[in-house]
Amino acid sequence: MQNLTRRNFLKASGLGAALLGAGGIRSFAAEAKRRVVVIGGGWGGATAAKYSRLTDPSIEVTLLEPSREFISCPFSNLVLAGVESLKNLTMNYNGLRKHGVKIRHEAAAAIEPDKRRVRVGKDSLEYDRLIVSPGIDFQWELVEGLAQAKDTVLHAWKAGPQTLQLAKQLQSLADGGVVVMTVPPVAFRCPPGPYERASMIAWYLHTKKPKSKLIVLDANKDIVSKTGLFKAVFKDYPNLDYRPSQKVEKIDVGAKEVTTEPGDKVKYDVINLIPPQRAGAIAVEADLVGGDKRWCEVDHVTYESVKQKNIHVIGDATIGLPVPKSGNVANAMGKICATAVVNLLNGKEPPVIAPGNTCYSWVNDKEAIAVVNAYKIENGKVVQIEQKLTPGKSVAVARNSLAWRASIWNDVLG
Amino acid sequence: MRKSLLPSLLLVTMLVLIFAAAETEAGPLDSPGAQKALVCSACHGFAGNSPGNTVPILAGINANYFKKAIKDYAEGKRLSPEMEPYSKYVVQFGVDDIANYFASQKRQPAKVKADPNAVSRGATLATQCISCHGDKGDGDTEGTIPALRGQAAGFVQAQLALFKADKRKPEDAILEESKKRILKGLDNNDFADLAAYFASLK
Repeated sequence: MQNLTRRNFLKASGLGAALLGAGGIRSFAAEAKRRVVVIGGGWGGATAAKYSRLTDPSIEVTLLEPSREFISCPFSNLVLAGVESLKNLTMNYNGLRKHGVKIRHEAAAAIEPDKRRVRVGKDSLEYDRLIVSPGIDFQWELVEGLAQAKDTVLHAWKAGPQTLQLAKQLQSLADGGVVVMTVPPVAFRCPPGPYERASMIAWYLHTKKPKSKLIVLDANKDIVSKTGLFKAVFKDYPNLDYRPSQKVEKIDVGAKEVTTEPGDKVKYDVINLIPPQRAGAIAVEADLVGGDKRWCEVDHVTYESVKQKNIHVIGDATIGLPVPKSGNVANAMGKICATAVVNLLNGKEPPVIAPGNTCYSWVNDKEAIAVVNAYKIENGKVVQIEQKLTPGKSVAVARNSLAWRASIWNDVLG
Repeated sequence: MRKSLLPSLLLVTMLVLIFAAAETEAGPLDSPGAQKALVCSACHGFAGNSPGNTVPILAGINANYFKKAIKDYAEGKRLSPEMEPYSKYVVQFGVDDIANYFASQKRQPAKVKADPNAVSRGATLATQCISCHGDKGDGDTEGTIPALRGQAAGFVQAQLALFKADKRKPEDAILEESKKRILKGLDNNDFADLAAYFASLK
């Protein structure tokens, strides 16, 4: 008994056996206070916070999210066409509190990886593992004139006040007016989103302002997602003028005109300019982004940053996985990452689980299309097993999308 | 030595008590099936209790029936743009753990409220169904006949329509025969009523 360590004593006394039986030995230091901090309460972060607590209720989880409301980006394109209200897409964070998640409605000011802490105002929060789910920010500087005009030129690419403002501008448009919408170069949040939006605006104009038209200036060579399905849908809308390979270079708010890379000048009455995007600012400032200075590379099983130990990144901010930047993928990453983080904190091997993607796009007031992707992990990397598209638009798919949203909102926040 | 051991003993006892308290709070995801089924909850709800009308509730599903459904989706015998990829996702894990996980969950009745008139019309129509599905809609224990009790109405209605349109078939010839005979006299409104009735069974 000379070298009596606590662990030896546990084994010797038989108490250790009880402990082992109860779920394995954890390190005492880690057990004393295991803290997970989550930055960002969107689809990924809210899910990760909830599932960290569900996986191990003894872990302290703090979520940093400045907004008191969660507003769903999925379905916000329907608000623009007046077929859905933003109120129906707005939820609160009370469900997470019931799981014991501590919520601070404040922004994370900075990450200090060396000290394992996050600065919040004058305060700082220490963590054992940090989950960063910062979403996207806009690269205003890549379009001339946009930085100066940014509050007057709407993106409506983060659901909220801008969604309502753009809906109002569309409603106020005179019949015969021109709406111009621009699609940024890949990668951006929600690959089918711009085309769903184009369909919904075209449907709205077609129905309410038949002399108006919508011009879509796409920086990409072709429709980025659900290509065949959207092409078929666009044929329903003679008022929709889709122009590929038209990257917006400049906006002149006074002249109500945008200039594209080939030099075309396009006049508008209402503009919806979706700017180029990168990971949320905090990820860039904490040097979680790669050489492109835009997106964060992560381990495909644990979502741990390849650049910073003990920091995990999930959701739209990530790159390198063959998955779209969708709410469904962020939700899946949130669950998988939470499980990995908890297992790592408990000294266990994280389970090897791939995400999935179920993605619906509405194309008029009643019908929708969908794409579904299943993935697996092969040699430590996410690879696609299969992608399946709906044969065409249908009311049944739209109904499924409503079931999906009821379920996934609850999975994220309930 | 003895003197120095006493504080250690106290410390260990305290720690064991702390551990015991923590371990009793073990989370609901402490099974291999729960972890392999993590992505399923996006559509099927937590523990398979789908809150949506057209997505089936998997909580309490017969494990054999679940495995058969996954196999049929993966082989393209049942058509669903959603489930064809996801069935292969489930297959990669070997199906058993996930089937057992959902089978062991408690089914909560469907959350979507039904029109009482539809439920009552459905109850009358359901007299044709109960010889196979059971008078409470519990299905059979082998997992050949699915449980319909508390199942999502929109899902059941859609499946009835698929059976009638010959887009989904039971493998058993006798079952197919009886199903065709019953469905022949029913239309989509009847399917909605039947589905409302079975969804209402608690």
